[in-house]
Amino acid sequence: MLARHAESLFWAGRYIERAESTARMLDVTYHSHLEAMTINESSSWHDLLKILNVDLAFSEAERSLRADEVSEFLVFDPDNPGTIRSSVSSARDNLRAVRELISTELWESINRFHLRLSARNLRDDVAGEPHELYAMVRHECQALAGVSSETMPRDEGWNFLTLGWMLERSLMTLRLLSVRYSQLVAAGAAGGFHHWVSTLKSASGSEAFRRRYKASMDPADVVAFLLMSSLFPRSVLFGLQQAEKALTWIEGGATRSRPQRLLGRLRADVEYLDVAELLSGDLTVYLGMIESDIRQVSDAIEVTYFRASDEFAMHVLDPAVVWG
Amino acid sequence: MRSTRHGLFAGYDNEGFFDEAHDADGDARDHYAALVDQLDDFTSDELNRREKLRDEAFRAAGITFTVYGESEGVERTFPMDLIPRLIPADEWDVIEAGLIQRVTVLNRFLDDLYVGERAAIKDGIVPWWLVASSDGFAREASGIQVPHAARCLVAGVDLVRDAQGAYRVLEDNLRNPSGISYVLENRQAMTRVLPKVFANHRVRPVDHYGLSLLHALQAVAPPAAGEDPTVVVLTPGVYNSAYFEHAFLARQMGVELVEGRDLVVDDNVVAMRTTQGMQRVDVIYRRIDDQFLDPVVFRPDSTLGVPGLMAAARAQTVTIANAVGNGVADDKAVYAFVPDLIRYYTGDDPIIDNVETYLLWDADQRAAVLDRLDELVIKPVAEAGGYGVVIGPKATDAELAECRAQIEADPRNYIAQEVIALSRHPTLVDDHLEGRHVDLRPFVLCSDTVEVIPGGLTRVALRKGSLIVNSSQGGGSKDTWVLAPEEG
Repeated sequence: MLARHAESLFWAGRYIERAESTARMLDVTYHSHLEAMTINESSSWHDLLKILNVDLAFSEAERSLRADEVSEFLVFDPDNPGTIRSSVSSARDNLRAVRELISTELWESINRFHLRLSARNLRDDVAGEPHELYAMVRHECQALAGVSSETMPRDEGWNFLTLGWMLERSLMTLRLLSVRYSQLVAAGAAGGFHHWVSTLKSASGSEAFRRRYKASMDPADVVAFLLMSSLFPRSVLFGLQQAEKALTWIEGGATRSRPQRLLGRLRADVEYLDVAELLSGDLTVYLGMIESDIRQVSDAIEVTYFRASDEFAMHVLDPAVVWG
Repeated sequence: MRSTRHGLFAGYDNEGFFDEAHDADGDARDHYAALVDQLDDFTSDELNRREKLRDEAFRAAGITFTVYGESEGVERTFPMDLIPRLIPADEWDVIEAGLIQRVTVLNRFLDDLYVGERAAIKDGIVPWWLVASSDGFAREASGIQVPHAARCLVAGVDLVRDAQGAYRVLEDNLRNPSGISYVLENRQAMTRVLPKVFANHRVRPVDHYGLSLLHALQAVAPPAAGEDPTVVVLTPGVYNSAYFEHAFLARQMGVELVEGRDLVVDDNVVAMRTTQGMQRVDVIYRRIDDQFLDPVVFRPDSTLGVPGLMAAARAQTVTIANAVGNGVADDKAVYAFVPDLIRYYTGDDPIIDNVETYLLWDADQRAAVLDRLDELVIKPVAEAGGYGVVIGPKATDAELAECRAQIEADPRNYIAQEVIALSRHPTLVDDHLEGRHVDLRPFVLCSDTVEVIPGGLTRVALRKGSLIVNSSQGGGSKDTWVLAPEEG
């Protein structure tokens, strides 16, 4: 397929996942304040900004660390390139650029989502009933996942969409774990229970965790669950496995491309972790390494599939080689 | 005038115009009888409910066009009126024959100009200076061969009906005629929104267009392309007003929709950048104007095109459709000569006549036109989409004065035509039906064969009294049903 189309699908997946994660984490953060007074409000809002990697942009916007200000910043502030609003419209723009490659159902879903979001008064939503807005965003994103899964052929386009979607998911869960864990270490064990519950909820994982680990709220279990559960669809490992599957499909043959080698090594590393060993060392540093590996995979994908042909065209001049 | 009109037709009046559905006495024409009967069963509430269904379907599908000159990103749905336009089989047979005759001749004329002996010029049918001064004439295309001489691979010929109901050609669109996607989407919407009305008529299908277009494009591939040529659709990108249609056509054909930046020309061979490296391209259905196609040959500042594309076309490693330079044949001043060209190339009279047209470089014709500017329609020769058209009877004195000055400054650039009292068609206005002016753009595919898609895009001027049907100027559309012949 066209390199540009592959790139659009890859980013559409990333943006949809980004919109959903942002909505879910906003919802959880907002409601954790209503339920648990022990949590330091401004620090948890700051955590959220850090997880979403927009803490610097936020301080440049000269807003204060309050629920309404952070929420506005993450939902629709034009100064933030990664708002829910802009993620959805970027996802739509990317899917629009590949309109002829995706199913009509998928296009209609993203278009309707975009139009619904545009028709709302987001400032009032954030001030009034934010949960309704966040639930709508999550619902629409999940509908997009369902619609694409039910209507798209499992071709190259589908696999690039999945690749972006799943890498973004791994990255989000990883950053969630990373920021929450380091905050916990800094604060000592106090307030641990609510902290971990809201972390699990932020990844949509509290119910699945409960079924797997029953009453436990051992940090080691939470870390193991979010990092390396092969069953929970929002764990870091699950995302990496799905991304690897997509990449293997795209590559097809027996040779391994650079992104495939990087991703395969990373996935194996996470899959065969020893959590006890990990917790005895510096988990934050380790999580930071995984994060940088994921970004490296993403960069390699960009160079290999979206950019390489430019250089190819510039350097290879013998048509027999080009068309061979 | 009948006084028995009721329901949706209450107060309906032809007002002296040729009405598509009713004769001069106000009775339904034969081929409209069943439709008028069925419409009697609908209340206005019921039709309004179905209009809402239609709007929701169109908006959700993102069937929109972009309006230029308004704030960026304004996307509108192209309104489709629920009342279909019907064309009986015998009437269509004549239209079809007329279109095939006309487009075949236009192809011959273009081939004659660009790769032939320019016989029509030498024999004095069309003056050379007129051709050479046309904005659409591309010297760069001279000598570039097109298989089957299919220079107008897709042609859209705008037809109108005059006060007597006679079909006439208003203009030819031979560069990048758009609108076929609305034809197909309208049909789909109609079969969903008014299924029983549709089922009650024997309507000739249009949904094979994608396959026909793909076949036509593959048939003009360079010989070297082999059995299974690679076809792409070249679009200026998502911000183009017709992007929806470009994507629609690529999807219907199952081919890649590329932008200029996706293509590379190397050693006169065109290839597209894919995730698996470069892939050779054989036929480009381009929806980019000539001037933006290749910065080496045309506008050097164009970022939409592909450097080297014209050289590749000249080397016949790739076919560009529609061919470069077709604009000379849909120049509105050259249009005036098409009836003569038909007689010249075929020896037959035109099956469908032109609208009476005056050429303004001719001093006598110009003087006559300037004398009664307020009674005529003035059009710039190279514009499409209704831009720059002045309708004399509706123009203000200031507009007429400006128009006069423009004609005197550059008479070659304008033509004048008699005002045609365009036929009207019952159209839903709030809770009842009123007559609105319509035209018809059928689509003709020329390749190894010539095919006319039954019907085409009926455009309707939704504003009362308006004669401008273009989508960019407040027009809407109607599904157009060509009825199959009676059996037996």
